[in-house]
Amino acid sequence: MAAVWRAKVPPNSANLEEARKRVFDFFKLACRSLPKVMDIYNLDDVATISQLRSTIASQLRKNAHIKDPKVIDMLIFKGMEELENIVEHSKQRHHMIGQYVVGHHGLVQEMGTKEQGLSPFLKNFYKSNYL
Amino acid sequence: MASIVRNTFKAIKEKGLGTFLRELREEGYLRCLPDGNLLQTKIHNIGGKVVGVDLYGNKYYENLNAQYGRHRWVEYASKNRYNASQVPPEWHGWLHHVTDHTGDEILMLKPSRYGIGHKENFTGEGDEKIYHSKGHALNPGQRDWTRYQSWQPGKN
Amino acid sequence: MGLGSLTSRAMIRRASTILNTTRSHNFSLVRSIVSTPELKNTASAAAEATPDPPLPPPRPPVNNARVHFPNPEDAIEVFVDGYSVKVPKGFTVLQACEVAGVDIPRFCYHSRLSIAGNCRMCLVEVEKSPKPVASCAMPALPGMKIKTDTPIAKKAREGVMEFLLMNHPLDCPICDQGGECDLQDQSMAFGSDRGRFTEMKRSVVDKNLGPLVKTVMTRCIQCTRCVRFASEVAGVEDLGILGRGSGEEIGTYVEQLMTSELSGNVIDICPVGALTSKPFAFKARNWELKGTESIDVTDAVGSNIRIDSRGPEVMRITPRLNEDVNEEWISDKTRFCYDGLKRQRLNDPMIRGSDGRFKAVSWRDALDVIAEVMHKVKPEEIVGVAGKLSDAESMMALKDFLNKMGSNNIWCEGNGGQPQADLRSGYLLNTGIADLETADVFLLIGTQPRVEAAMVNARIRKAVRSNHAKVGYIGPATDLNYDYEHLGTGPQTLQEIAEGTHSFFSAIKNAKNPAIVVGAGLFEREDKDAILSIVETIAKSANVIRPDWNGLNVLLLNAAQAASLDLGLVPESDKSIESAKFLYLMGADDVNMDKVPSDAFVVYQGHHGDQGVYRANVILPASAFSEKEGTYANTEGRAQQTVPAVPTVGDARDDWKIIRALSETAGVNLPYDSLIDVRERIRTVAPNLLSMDEREPATFSTLIKPEIKKEINPVPFKPSIENFYMTDSITRASKIMAQCSSQLLKK
Repeated sequence: MAAVWRAKVPPNSANLEEARKRVFDFFKLACRSLPKVMDIYNLDDVATISQLRSTIASQLRKNAHIKDPKVIDMLIFKGMEELENIVEHSKQRHHMIGQYVVGHHGLVQEMGTKEQGLSPFLKNFYKSNYL
Repeated sequence: MASIVRNTFKAIKEKGLGTFLRELREEGYLRCLPDGNLLQTKIHNIGGKVVGVDLYGNKYYENLNAQYGRHRWVEYASKNRYNASQVPPEWHGWLHHVTDHTGDEILMLKPSRYGIGHKENFTGEGDEKIYHSKGHALNPGQRDWTRYQSWQPGKN
Repeated sequence: MGLGSLTSRAMIRRASTILNTTRSHNFSLVRSIVSTPELKNTASAAAEATPDPPLPPPRPPVNNARVHFPNPEDAIEVFVDGYSVKVPKGFTVLQACEVAGVDIPRFCYHSRLSIAGNCRMCLVEVEKSPKPVASCAMPALPGMKIKTDTPIAKKAREGVMEFLLMNHPLDCPICDQGGECDLQDQSMAFGSDRGRFTEMKRSVVDKNLGPLVKTVMTRCIQCTRCVRFASEVAGVEDLGILGRGSGEEIGTYVEQLMTSELSGNVIDICPVGALTSKPFAFKARNWELKGTESIDVTDAVGSNIRIDSRGPEVMRITPRLNEDVNEEWISDKTRFCYDGLKRQRLNDPMIRGSDGRFKAVSWRDALDVIAEVMHKVKPEEIVGVAGKLSDAESMMALKDFLNKMGSNNIWCEGNGGQPQADLRSGYLLNTGIADLETADVFLLIGTQPRVEAAMVNARIRKAVRSNHAKVGYIGPATDLNYDYEHLGTGPQTLQEIAEGTHSFFSAIKNAKNPAIVVGAGLFEREDKDAILSIVETIAKSANVIRPDWNGLNVLLLNAAQAASLDLGLVPESDKSIESAKFLYLMGADDVNMDKVPSDAFVVYQGHHGDQGVYRANVILPASAFSEKEGTYANTEGRAQQTVPAVPTVGDARDDWKIIRALSETAGVNLPYDSLIDVRERIRTVAPNLLSMDEREPATFSTLIKPEIKKEINPVPFKPSIENFYMTDSITRASKIMAQCSSQLLKK
C-alpha cells in the first residue's frame, strides 16, 4: 500500500522491455491494493477479489496493441492516478460498482456470440427503452 | 482519609463483603484504578448533590461550593465506555449552563408524540449500531424509493 | 457649471415639490391606509389640466382572443383608457376591456358561467357614472368611456380586496392553492400592504363533498363559481349558498356528497383554496411540477390535459383549453385516474413456468419463447387483439406483424365481431363535439353519454340549456342530468320511429339541426347491422344528413376505437378467438377469456396487471399513455398525440417497439426503426391520423351504404358501461376510482 503513496513520476522508459516491466509492476501494485479497496468500498457483497483482478487485467489488455514505450508510460501514469484516487477513497461506492463491477456495458453481461446478426434496433431494444 | 476507611468498614459490616465488593465493581470504583478521569469524578462527587438521574442512568451532580464552571457535572452510567453523546438532550442544557431547568423538568414539557428517544453516537461501534439515513443501504428499514407499485404474480 | 451646482439645483427642486405635497396633505393628520395618495387631490389635478403625454401603442387582446362579430352592424365603439375598441353589442364592460388588452381583476366572473357580479373586484370607473361600476355585469354601451387605471378604480379594488382578506385565513403556507391562487396574486397586485381588521376572523365548518374534492370552507370568498358550475355545466343541484352577510356559506344544504362526474372542475374554477383536490392534498407544490401537454385516453373524447409530474411520478392531471373538444373541463375519471398509473404496474417480462407461476426473465428470453411458439402454430390460428388504450402506431405495428405472419385475425376490443370499417362516417361522431351545441333535437340510441363520454354529455346539456334542445332517449332508464323524453328501451321503439308512427319522428323531421347519437355499445349486439340500417332509414327520411349538417353520429367508447377502425383492424371471422392457438393481447383486458381454448398460448403486452394477465403465458411490460408518444383519434375523428411526461417503469418498453423487436426475433422484420418510420407507414393506410389536432370529417356519408334487411332482436339495449369510474386497466388499478365507485355510485 505504501508504494502507492510514495509513487512518483518516474523517468521515461528507455525501451519496450522496461515499459513492459513497469506494466507488470503496476498490475501487481493494483492487485495488492485490492483487499483494501474491497474493504473501504464495502464491495464484498457485489464482487470478489478475483473478479476485480480480472477487470484490471482486461483493462490492461485493452491496450495490449500499444508498442510505443512513451504511450505505455503515459497510460501507466493515468492508471496510477486512478489507482491513487481509488485507494485514497476519493471515489464513492457506486463509482466503483459502476466502473469496475458492472462495467461499461450495463448489467447485460451476455455480450458476444448471441448479439451477432441483430439489428441495431434490437440491440438497443434489449438495452433500454430510450436508445 | 480516616473517615473513608471507617465508612468502608461500616459498609462492609452492614452489607456483607460480597455485596460490598459487587457494589464496588458496579459503581466503578475498581475502574478508577486504571481510569484517572473516573477517579477524579468520584473524588469530585464528594460533597456534590445528585440533582437527577436520567433515563439511561447517568447521574447529574451539582456542588455550588465548587469552583465556578465546575459546579455541574455528570457521572456516566457506563463506567468503561462513556462519552459526551450519552447525555440526552433534556439534560444537555442544564449540564452546559444553558438553562437552570433540570432534565426532569424539561422532560415534562416535551410533547409525548415526539417519540424518538435519544441515541448516543455509536460511530466506530459497528455497522449495525450506527445511524444510517433512510435511504442508506445498511439501514435495515431502508426506504423504498420506487415511485410505483409493481404487479405481484403470486396474488392471483 | 460644475457638477456640484447641478446636484444642488436638483435638490432644491425636489425640496420644493416635497414642500408642495406636504402643504396639500397637511389637513389629514392620520396616516391613511390608501396607498394611492394622489387620489386625495384628484380635483386639483384635474383642474390643472396638464397636456396628456402621448399614449403608448394599444395592447393586444388578453390571451390573444379574437372577437367574433355575429352581425357587423351591431358593433359598438367604446373607449378603454382612451383607446377606441369595437365590440359586438351585448358585450360586457369587462369583455370590452379584455379586447382592449386590459385584464380586469375578477373572482366571481367566469367566461363559461353565468354572471353573478358579487365579488366586486372588477370595479372600473366609467365617465359620467357617479360610482365605480362592476364591469362584469355592466353591458358596454356605445361611446362609453371606461377607465381602468384611475385612482378611483384602484381605490375601489383595494377596498374590495381588504374586505375579502378580512375573513380570509392567513394560511397560504399550508394551502394547496398557494402559488396558483387568484386571491394571492391579486392581493399582491391590487391589495393594500396592510389591513385594518383587528377582530377575530370568522370560521366555517368544512363540508364533505366526497373522495375527490377537499373543502376548507374558511378560505371561501363566496364567489359562487362552484355553485354556478354545478347547476349550469354539471347539471346537479348539489351545491348552494346558505345564510346572508357574514354568515354566508357554500354548502350542500344537507349532509351529502357531490355526485357529479364533472365535480373535479370546481377545483380549477375555485379562485382560492376552498375547494382543492383531495388526492393531491399536501403532495406537491405547483411550482415543483413539470407540465406536459397531453391527451386523455380514458374515454373516446380525447380531452386535452396537462400531466403535471415531479420526477418519475405523475402528481396530477389538469385540463387544457380546447374549445373544440373539452372546452376547459375534464371528467373526474380523467382527472383522478392518475394514481392508477402507479399501482399494479408490470415492470419485467415474465414467463409462466410449468408449475403455473410467473418468473421474471430477460426481454431476449421472452421474445425468443414467443417467436418459437408462433412458428409452431398455423398462421390462421394466430389472433391479435388491441386494447382500449392502444395508440395508432402500435396497432399499425401489430397489424403489420400479424399480417406478415400470415394471419389477418386482428381487431380492437369494443368494436364487436364484424365491425364496419369501410365508411368512416359509419363510426364517427360526424357532427363534431363542438357542433353538437347547435343541435336542437337529439335522439340518443342505446347510449348514455353521461357515463360513456362525460364531455359530450356536457355539450348536449349546453345545447339543452341554451337552445332548449329536445332530447329523446332509447335505452335502459338512466339519469342524464338534463330533461329527456324516455322513448323506449329496445329496438322496437326505433322501428316505430323509422316507420313514422312514433311521435318523436315528427320532432326530428321538423328540427333545424337534428342529431342522432348511436352508442358504440350496440357494436357488441348480434343485430347491429339491422339496427344501424334502421337508424340510417330514420336519418334518410327525417333529412338528418344535409350538405351543411351531418347529424348521424356514433359515440365511441374507447380511445383506441376510431384509430383502429381507421387502420382497418377488422377480423376475418368473428369466431377466430375460439379456434385460436396463439393469442396476442396488446393491452386487451376485456376479452372474454372463457372462450379462449385451454391449449392456446396467450401473450399479454400491457402496462397493468389487470384481467388479461391471469390467462397469459408470457407477459411483456409496456408503457402507459403518460410515458409514450402515441397518436389517438377521438370519437369525432380528431387525431391527437400524447407526449411522454414521465419515464417508463422498470424494464418496460414502448408498445410499437416491442412488436418491432418481436418481429425481428420471429424472422419477419418490420421495416420501421423509429416512430417517424411507423408514421410514414400509417400515412399509406390512414393519412388522417397524421394531421394532428385537426378533425378530419368523413368524406362519404353513410347514406350511400345499401340497406340491409335483417331481423332485429327485440332484446332491450343494455348499458354499455356499468361503472363510470372503472372502465380500463388504469382506472381499475386506481385507488381513488375505487373509492369513488364505492361511495358515489351507491344507490
